[in-house]
Amino acid sequence: MKKFFLLLIMSAIIQPVLAGLHEERMIQQKVDNIGTRILNCNKIQKRIVFAYNQKAKDTWRNRNKTLTSRQIIVFDELYKSTQTDDEVAAMLAREIATVMKSYSGMWGGWIDSAQVALSSKKFETVADKRAVDYMVNAGYNPLALIVYINKTCPQRHQDVIARHNLTSKRLARIYEYITYKYPEYLHDNEYTNNEHYQNFLLTSVDNRRKLEEKIRTKSTDEVDYE
Amino acid sequence: MNRLIILFALYLLMSAAVRAETLPYNYYDTTSIPIYLSITELLTTKHPVNEGQFVDFRVVKDVKYKNKIILKSGTIVPGRVETIITSGMNGFPAEIIVDDFQIPNIDSSKLVCTYYKKGQNRCLWVYPLKWALTIIPFVGSLTNFIKGGHAKIKPSDIVTIYYYPNW
Repeated sequence: MKKFFLLLIMSAIIQPVLAGLHEERMIQQKVDNIGTRILNCNKIQKRIVFAYNQKAKDTWRNRNKTLTSRQIIVFDELYKSTQTDDEVAAMLAREIATVMKSYSGMWGGWIDSAQVALSSKKFETVADKRAVDYMVNAGYNPLALIVYINKTCPQRHQDVIARHNLTSKRLARIYEYITYKYPEYLHDNEYTNNEHYQNFLLTSVDNRRKLEEKIRTKSTDEVDYE
Repeated sequence: MNRLIILFALYLLMSAAVRAETLPYNYYDTTSIPIYLSITELLTTKHPVNEGQFVDFRVVKDVKYKNKIILKSGTIVPGRVETIITSGMNGFPAEIIVDDFQIPNIDSSKLVCTYYKKGQNRCLWVYPLKWALTIIPFVGSLTNFIKGGHAKIKPSDIVTIYYYPNW
């Protein structure tokens, strides 16, 4: 009887650990599959690996591994905000765009990597746009990028003295990019019934009005989003 | 009983077929044919076009595969301006990315055709200058106003893309 209880307690301890390991393995598999599909469908002829890390924090140092080791670390704090494969693809596509920059330019990409790290505001927009292209080519809905950023990136007070753009500006630029390049996703919009997408539409009324004005006047100037 | 076994065998076969998903690509073959193009009109980030807009390129040289001309010199090939990166502070150069070339009678999935063109990268001297000037308070920040060069794709530039006939 004593042995039986001991076994019961042991299994009660081990079971959650095993379940956790299994879950981690499943997430890693999912990240690998989606990431590799993006690489293959975009014919990216550079090596990039993906690693899901439950414990790593989304810090500047950890993020820079993307540029130095060409390894995309999927942080749990970001992964848990994703609900669909499209959103996981959005998360990975952004990072792939950053890694691709580290492969170009002089000194084996060191100069470009340093530029990305130092001028991250500029390159943030580029990575967002490239991510849209990567997603579309791999068969994912690019609106998921809007949903993912809308959920995970906080809105700062200003971006004049900052290393990052205002999230509202990033979202508006992505929306503009999709409007010009992939309007079919907006016409046949499967995200209409998505709460997060509707929240984006609600919070971006002013910016979308500016875009409508740009389209109406057929301007090619950059819109000054808020 | 026999019917049951047949049905079970059929189920196993069908589920195996569903599992063995065929990928829409196979990158085994290494044969590639370069296609040389040049733009018909100057494209610059100084007077940018909208992203997603198509610009025309012209085939510079006949393209042959298995001793047959598959693309004649002078053929117009539209390419899509994917992304335009404007020049930024501290000498960050502008960049143009062109992709999605639409070549007659060639499947675009068999092309590796992302073309990048960068402007002058002034970061190489701007950052050392910035760090040297930081000795005097606030003066180093003045280099923020130095912008990178504009990216230009000139009609004299040769754009090389690759056709993989067996992909």
